[in-house]
Amino acid sequence: MRSLTEMATIFLAPNDREAVLGDLAETGASGWSALRSVLGLVLRQQMELWCAWQPWIASSVAFAGSLLLLSVSFGLSVDSRHLLRGERGYGSVLCEALLMLSWAWTSGYVVGSLSAKTRWVSGILCAIPCLSCVLRFHDTSLSRLCVLLFLLPAVVGAIQGVCRARLFHGTALTLAIAMTALMLVLGGMYMRNWFFFLPAWWLVAHAERSELSNEKGPA
Amino acid sequence: MLGEFEYVLITVAAGLGESAYGAAIREEIEKVAGRRCSIGALYTTIERLEKKGLLKTWMGEATAQRGGRAKRMVRVTAKGMHAAKEFYEAMVRVSRNASWASGKPERA
Repeated sequence: MRSLTEMATIFLAPNDREAVLGDLAETGASGWSALRSVLGLVLRQQMELWCAWQPWIASSVAFAGSLLLLSVSFGLSVDSRHLLRGERGYGSVLCEALLMLSWAWTSGYVVGSLSAKTRWVSGILCAIPCLSCVLRFHDTSLSRLCVLLFLLPAVVGAIQGVCRARLFHGTALTLAIAMTALMLVLGGMYMRNWFFFLPAWWLVAHAERSELSNEKGPA
Repeated sequence: MLGEFEYVLITVAAGLGESAYGAAIREEIEKVAGRRCSIGALYTTIERLEKKGLLKTWMGEATAQRGGRAKRMVRVTAKGMHAAKEFYEAMVRVSRNASWASGKPERA
């Protein structure tokens, strides 16, 4: 039971883990009582997190973004095949690939930076449509993994977001303008593009806010 | 304004002074207030109060009694003391006309 209790503490931050296991040892709590205490704390901490708006937005972006990016990845794979057959130009496929990379990275960054502590929920919400799509994939001329092209840039973005990798305002603005221009070039502002428009410009606002708070310095 | 449990926690931590940490606060709340205090309620409230700037916490020494684990020490900040004082004064004002506080006979 002791090891079960210790296993349950993996959901806690390192300092909380240390303090809670110490408190349990000091009060002599063991067995179910210790396990219940730890699980109670984990549950309460999660409930507190979900009282804020950030985890809800992060989860929504993770779920809806992965659904949309699955179709973007599939579209890119089909167009790449056309490119190899000489039915498509390099330019449009390159634009499409750049757009997918930037959509995936910005969405991942937004998910990671908005709610690092609920990243496992966002991860599960991203994995569900991915798994479902991979398992139901029927096109025999393409690998079923072609729908997951977006996953690597999205995961890199999410990790950088969780680590709060510094994003300069100029870089974010350039990225957002480039993405908007590419969206206009590749078919205009239809529904899917509107969705990815938001993370890109949210990053601009986020980078500006970070620079302003850095200029002010610590209080 | 503070919640009731937040007030209890701040008051007990202030009373314990330098020796205020998780297990000690929990034991004191159970002894003095006569209510059960779970580890979950204690630590989530400590975190919330720390975010509000009413408490400050840091990792203290590890003891053999705790299996070599460190304590999470707690100190009430000036802002925390002010918030607790406000809560206490509000409770005194609210209770002014209550029979148990004023000693007047209870009205039906």
